[in-house]
Amino acid sequence: MLEIKNLHVAVDGKEILNGVTLSVRPGEVHAIMGPNGSGKSTLSYVLAGRAGYDITEGSIHYNGEDLVELSPEERAAKGVFLAMQYPVEIPGVTTMTFLKTALNAQRRARGESDLDAVAVLRLVRAKAKSLNVSEEMLKRALNVGFSGGEKKRLEILQMAVFEPKLAILDETDSGLDIDALRLVAEGVNVLRDPARAMLVITHYQRLLDYIVPDRIHVLAKGRIVAEGGKELALELEARGYEHIVGQAA
Amino acid sequence: MNLALNLDRKAEAAAIVHSHGVPHRRIEEWKYSDLKAALGEQGLGAVVAEWLVGDLPNGVEIFDLAQPNPPVWVMAHVGRSIQNVMSAASLALSAGGVALRVPKGAAIADPLKLDFTGLGHVRALLVLEESASLNLLEGAGAADFRNVGFEIVIGAGASLEHVRISQQAGDAVLVEEANVRIAAGGRYRAHFAGFGSKLSRMELEIALEGAGAQAHLSGVSVLDGKRHSDVTTNVIHSHGDTNSTQLFKHVVGAQARAVYQGKVTVAKGANGSDSVQTAKALLLGETAEADLKPELEIFADDVKCAHGAAVGDLDAEQLFYLRARGIPESEARGLLLHAFLEDAVEEIANADQRELVRTELLAALKAVA
Repeated sequence: MLEIKNLHVAVDGKEILNGVTLSVRPGEVHAIMGPNGSGKSTLSYVLAGRAGYDITEGSIHYNGEDLVELSPEERAAKGVFLAMQYPVEIPGVTTMTFLKTALNAQRRARGESDLDAVAVLRLVRAKAKSLNVSEEMLKRALNVGFSGGEKKRLEILQMAVFEPKLAILDETDSGLDIDALRLVAEGVNVLRDPARAMLVITHYQRLLDYIVPDRIHVLAKGRIVAEGGKELALELEARGYEHIVGQAA
Repeated sequence: MNLALNLDRKAEAAAIVHSHGVPHRRIEEWKYSDLKAALGEQGLGAVVAEWLVGDLPNGVEIFDLAQPNPPVWVMAHVGRSIQNVMSAASLALSAGGVALRVPKGAAIADPLKLDFTGLGHVRALLVLEESASLNLLEGAGAADFRNVGFEIVIGAGASLEHVRISQQAGDAVLVEEANVRIAAGGRYRAHFAGFGSKLSRMELEIALEGAGAQAHLSGVSVLDGKRHSDVTTNVIHSHGDTNSTQLFKHVVGAQARAVYQGKVTVAKGANGSDSVQTAKALLLGETAEADLKPELEIFADDVKCAHGAAVGDLDAEQLFYLRARGIPESEARGLLLHAFLEDAVEEIANADQRELVRTELLAALKAVA
């Protein structure tokens, strides 16, 4: 589903990723772990199509298509979803209006008809309950005044509503206490599906206790320096990044 | 205006017009709105513009200022304030206009619709007596040149909601001066939606004259092409324990220009005055311009005054977030522009009028974004 080959990315002329190769098949959950500054967030932004990231070498293919050529909105309509580390506050747009606008924009791009307000509300309500997203939150301006946990829950709610094929979770665990973390992880696990791939980006092994990955890649200084099964997370937890990064160098 | 009406005031106004002439950009208050250049050779003229009142709600009294024998309430207020040379011109050069009165204690439920049309000068007077309340929807139609001099008197405990929509008006030069006097416990809530013209200026002078008097001003403008829209306010806290808020938002594209000049004066002894002023503009291109000038003059102690102005572009992070959720760029921009204006629109108390302004904004944003 996702094929990243020898990806080099520069920001303001400075190389952040230098030669990342990664392959994710439908139904798989991959974790990308790494210390701060390793390029984890850069990778997630490049996949979502944010401006300011220059791909100097390599390629990204998504279902056989060159992802780099697509605008962020085209990627979203084709099923790429990025749960952001820092969801943006948008005063003046209610959460519900945003969800309806985005869902219908994606549907339209796929040649599907718009859902009316009642249908969207029904859909959102059904998914919101298990994520503990209240009616009141849906009426408020998007992310404005939301706590860290509320913002992350809303990201996962969007994932549930948009039903992406490739979900990238960028540090979804950051800023969450253990109860919120469990709630978010459950929300993600419910969405595990043979047709859906996930890329879970995290600094800590903690999240992977709840979202158990099929494969773990360790990113350091813009390269993948170690790969393995879920047991790699435990090794990292026990011995720290220094050990693995040092070994690779 | 009826000649018997106030000959002295009319003569005084004429003298002001004669000595000052048409305002131009070298006069500080008109720096961003060069009326003389916009009018060109046609000058101020001496034509009488027209007014049109929609269905008159029960309980509202009306008097045509062109008619003889004005009632006492008209005589008591008309022409009492001459705030600047254009207000003087409307008094000196007009022979017509409308006066409206809401009697003591009358709460008028239906909005009153007042439109100014045609070319020239016109006067208007609105008197809300003690504890009266009214909703006024004012429309400003296009004309080569029009100058409206509006006097609003809000009695003790009275309440006026005023919404003015100035449609996009191509080559028109539209100037209006509103002089609002608010007695103790009186409330004035006004919203000005402007879509610009060759030169559009709404100038407000608001006096908070008794304890508990309040003025809440808000406005939005969406300007395209070479259009111009100027809101100039002068809020005078002449009495203590008074409150004023101002929130103006502008979206400016192409070579358009938005102007906000807001002055708040807290007079000596007007302790306990509270005032907030905010003006923000989004510029959609290199050639768009916004001149935002909040200003404070405080002569009293123990006052709370805050002001701020900001000019910027759409937030790139917000734009990316929306696009990453599948919303196409143009639609995302439209959504953000609308959101930017929304808090000012929410200041409109009447739901129908709020929707009316939203609809106009959507259409204008579609054109400019």
